Amino acid sequence: MVPVGACLALSATLFGIGLVGFLGRRNIILMLVSVEIMLNAVNVSLAAFSQHLQEPRGQIMALFVIAVAAAEVAVGLGLVIALSRNRPGVNVDDLTALKW
Amino acid sequence: MTIPAGQVAFYYLAAASIATALLAVTRRNPVHSMLWVLALFLHVAGIFLLTGAEFLAAVQIIIYAGAILVFYLFFLMLLDLPSETAGPRFGAHWPLAAAAGAAFAAVAWYAYEPALAPAAEPPAALSGNIATIPSGNIATVGMELFTRFVLPFEIASLILLAAIVGAVVIARRKTPA
Repeated sequence: MVPVGACLALSATLFGIGLVGFLGRRNIILMLVSVEIMLNAVNVSLAAFSQHLQEPRGQIMALFVIAVAAAEVAVGLGLVIALSRNRPGVNVDDLTALKW
Repeated sequence: MTIPAGQVAFYYLAAASIATALLAVTRRNPVHSMLWVLALFLHVAGIFLLTGAEFLAAVQIIIYAGAILVFYLFFLMLLDLPSETAGPRFGAHWPLAAAAGAAFAAVAWYAYEPALAPAAEPPAALSGNIATIPSGNIATVGMELFTRFVLPFEIASLILLAAIVGAVVIARRKTPA
């Protein structure tokens, strides 16, 4: 039996780490991977709640989160291809065309 | 007092998840980052197993570690790795990002703690080791998915279709007329 509080603390920590990666990294692909880390953290807390409440709905929600993550990967990496066609390199610092 | 094997496994998996996530976010070489993320996904799959979500653990390994991560690794080939590893990893605003992450984690810990302190004791029927977690989980999840959640399930397939079409449209090379 996994203590649910420890699972939620783990989830919060992983989400914080993913947030640091998303906000701090310069590489757009690693930013997307940090989003995946955050989604995984959410899935951990959904699984913990599902076990704690003895209720499979949490796991089903986590499955939908995984489906949406797959969609996000497809669109995000399509954007990366389009970007790298116009301007080689994947550093977000260089993408200043929309900056005011 | 003996500590149940499930708890030992959980604390190992939790510590390894946090360590691999930190390594993934901070490594200079993107390929190394990806491999650490792979280790993170496998450890999270172990946590799913411990929480009794076997189907979720299988999906985590097959889809996350198998499909999504390999997809990312293909896209890393777009990078110029030598120049990527030479430049700075973090933008100039990284202290702000670190503060935001730490603040979020602290707020979430703080929010979880009072709500879950009284409930942290496992239900009496389930206390003990990992062997007492109810089995038959996959059948339950499948029944729920195709009865009560059949509409969200179909919507998820629509979302995936929209994502496929959108990715093709966005990434397509523009041919003149």
